[in-house]
Amino acid sequence: MITISHLTKSFTDPDGSVLQVLKDVNCVINPGEVITVIGPSGSGKSTLLKALNLLDPPTGGSIIFDGEDILAKGYPVHKMRQRVGMVFQDFNLFGHMTVLENVIYAPCKIKKMDIAQAREMGLTLLRKVGLMEKADAYPSSLSGGQKQRVAIARCLAMEPEVILFDEPTSSLDPTMVGEVLSVIRHLAKDGMTMLIVTHEMKFARDVSTRIFYMQDGVIYEDGTPEQIFETPRRSATKAFVQRIRKAVFEVGSHDFDFLNMESHIRQFCIKYNIAEKSDNALVLCKKVVRNIMSDYFPMTIRITHSELSEVTALDFMVENLDKSPLEGADPARVEEIRSLCHKIIEEPTSRGFRVKLLI
Amino acid sequence: MKRVLLLALYVLAICSCAGKSNDKSGIELHDETDLAGLRVATQSGTCYELDLSSRNDIELQTYNTESDVLQALINGKADVIVNDEVIYNAVTRRDNGVKIAMLGEKTFPTGFLFRRDDRYLAQAMDAVQQRMVADGTMQGLKEFWLTDAFAEAGEYVHIPEESTGTPLRVATSTMSAPISFQVNGEWYGLEIDIIRELGKALNRPLEIKAYEMASGILAVKTGQADIMCGCVFITPERKQEFLFSEPYHYYRPAYFVIDEEANFDHDGSLFAWLKNSIRRNLILEGRWKYIVDGLLKTIKITLLSILFGSLLGACIYQMSRSRRRWMRSFAHFYNSFIDGIPDLVLLLIMFYIVFADSGISSDTVAIVSFSMFFAASACGIYRSSLAAVPPGQMQAGLALGFTRVQSFMHIVLPQALRHGLPLFKAQCITLLKGTAIVGYIAIQDLTRAGDMIRSRTFDALIPLLVVTVLYFLLAWLLGLLLNLASSKIKVL
Repeated sequence: MITISHLTKSFTDPDGSVLQVLKDVNCVINPGEVITVIGPSGSGKSTLLKALNLLDPPTGGSIIFDGEDILAKGYPVHKMRQRVGMVFQDFNLFGHMTVLENVIYAPCKIKKMDIAQAREMGLTLLRKVGLMEKADAYPSSLSGGQKQRVAIARCLAMEPEVILFDEPTSSLDPTMVGEVLSVIRHLAKDGMTMLIVTHEMKFARDVSTRIFYMQDGVIYEDGTPEQIFETPRRSATKAFVQRIRKAVFEVGSHDFDFLNMESHIRQFCIKYNIAEKSDNALVLCKKVVRNIMSDYFPMTIRITHSELSEVTALDFMVENLDKSPLEGADPARVEEIRSLCHKIIEEPTSRGFRVKLLI
Repeated sequence: MKRVLLLALYVLAICSCAGKSNDKSGIELHDETDLAGLRVATQSGTCYELDLSSRNDIELQTYNTESDVLQALINGKADVIVNDEVIYNAVTRRDNGVKIAMLGEKTFPTGFLFRRDDRYLAQAMDAVQQRMVADGTMQGLKEFWLTDAFAEAGEYVHIPEESTGTPLRVATSTMSAPISFQVNGEWYGLEIDIIRELGKALNRPLEIKAYEMASGILAVKTGQADIMCGCVFITPERKQEFLFSEPYHYYRPAYFVIDEEANFDHDGSLFAWLKNSIRRNLILEGRWKYIVDGLLKTIKITLLSILFGSLLGACIYQMSRSRRRWMRSFAHFYNSFIDGIPDLVLLLIMFYIVFADSGISSDTVAIVSFSMFFAASACGIYRSSLAAVPPGQMQAGLALGFTRVQSFMHIVLPQALRHGLPLFKAQCITLLKGTAIVGYIAIQDLTRAGDMIRSRTFDALIPLLVVTVLYFLLAWLLGLLLNLASSKIKVL
């Protein structure tokens, strides 16, 4: 239905610097698919969506919609948009119209639908999103969740073939997220083709037929929800879905500013709500660096924490090394460390060798 | 509520006027040294002003028109006023309760003023005057106009125009008998009659406009008028810049004071006084026609300026959002320039400099100036009201499948109008009131109409009151009209 190839989008600042948001996006969207787009902020998710219906036209590449190149000169963009609906993060309801008018305005004006008929259709749609009673209210009197449901009804009124959801729950109170997601779930059940940008991981996993993980302006990984959430092929995807946080320190020699590292680790632990682990982490760091691996400079120390699995790990990585530094170390000291953590993993990496302590 | 307020204003005005009095009573003047310590009012641009300004033992007040000068005396702002002996004639003096306390010692030469390079016209005027003196017509005119007889007569001979050449543009600074004044839209007076002779000799019809003294002189200098009259005194300073015809008369100043013996209340009743005042100011000589014409002129200038100003404002707004840097700079410069100068100054610049000698009518100049003014405010209103509509509204419209134009017209504009209309309304009313300055470029608008009546009747209350009420009604109607327009905005 929609084929996107080599799509790029860059913004030029007034000072001349160019920011490339979409670098090379390629994908095919088939009818009936529910695709959620996830990824860290700034990875180009929303930009991709707005590039798709040309609200923010791409700077390169091609988009084929229904066999036609929509980036071709003279292509009737508004005609395409009538078939590709969009739901915005901030709802963008028309403030000067009632809820019902919001829903039926476009069909009346664009499709020249008869007003009585449009009212009937509008009320049906409002019932579908549970807002029949609010038909004559103005948007300003609605809650965020209600507004977003009206926006969905407004979008449905044009009977689109695809709906693009641009972070539909991001400006809602946590208490209202559920009502909007449930409406989207219903649409998914009805077989509506949708492309949803969201930060709601559980929702993405439940509702999607496919997931795009976006990072650095490309679709970094594309797969089924099971694949993306359980067996991601790429480490960045894994880091994202498991919500892995990290801090990295390059230690050149004994003269490294360990005090500074200490305070950074403490801050890290406080930030991710694992303050109780910070003392242990610092003791382990000190013991490994001073007693066990004192001959292995330069090394990289990394602390990681998965917010999903709540596992915290300390990594000590040395380049160009093919056997574990623990092998030649004093077994008593290694045993001491083993007693301070859950598990020690010794593994070679592409560049050297890593000792991982799970705490 | 409005009615009550109006009534209160009305009663207040009547009381203040009916109770006019002067505490400095019984001023006796024998010669000009007796003026010491008194408040003396005179008209700006006259020789009397020049003459008295050298005296530092008096408090000199200058006003722009004869009627303002007289009003200063009646209202007690001045103790003595000085003006031409003939200007406040017997009827006027009796109606207003003033009298001549003494006559001045000096007389001052008076003539017609021409542009410096217009030697031909000045010499033609000299020839006409010489002929009139020789054949006695000048004497006849003076005997009719310069005695109180004409005022008592109250009837004037209308000489129909027969000339066919290019119009002779006359600027007059006086709208009072017997120098130059209007009755039923026709000009009469001593100087007008003399200029008529000139027009006849040159076969040129007259085109007479009333200016203030200083603006009139400027109008001759910049080519907006050919000849200036209205008791223009010949001073050495003016002679350096302009040509004068030979003086046709030497005017003698008279010092006027309140006449203690005059019986003000006529037949005593306030109602009768009011009735008489209305008759004199509105009915007599069809003076209400000035008000009607002025009203129409004010409406015309206001509405056209709003129309063109709104359009120009839209252009300026578009420029301010242009991709081209010079366009944005121009729009910015335009707005800050217009915001930074008084509307009167812009009007005068347009009239005397930009459109000087261009043959464009002063109405057009006024409409252009006020449109320029209105454009700057309109541009600001467009900007602020469009900025009040979140950009997401446009996006939502586009996403539904509206084109950019439809999205703007159907979704953005109605919301912007809600923000902008109250501001727009206020700006329209400001403009309406602002047009009161067009009198400076000799346009007879509503304010000027009041002035013209005042300069004939020397009465302030009724003309000003009528003008006030009309402006108030106009503003109210304009607001009503715009409210009506905004209530017509429907969604579906």
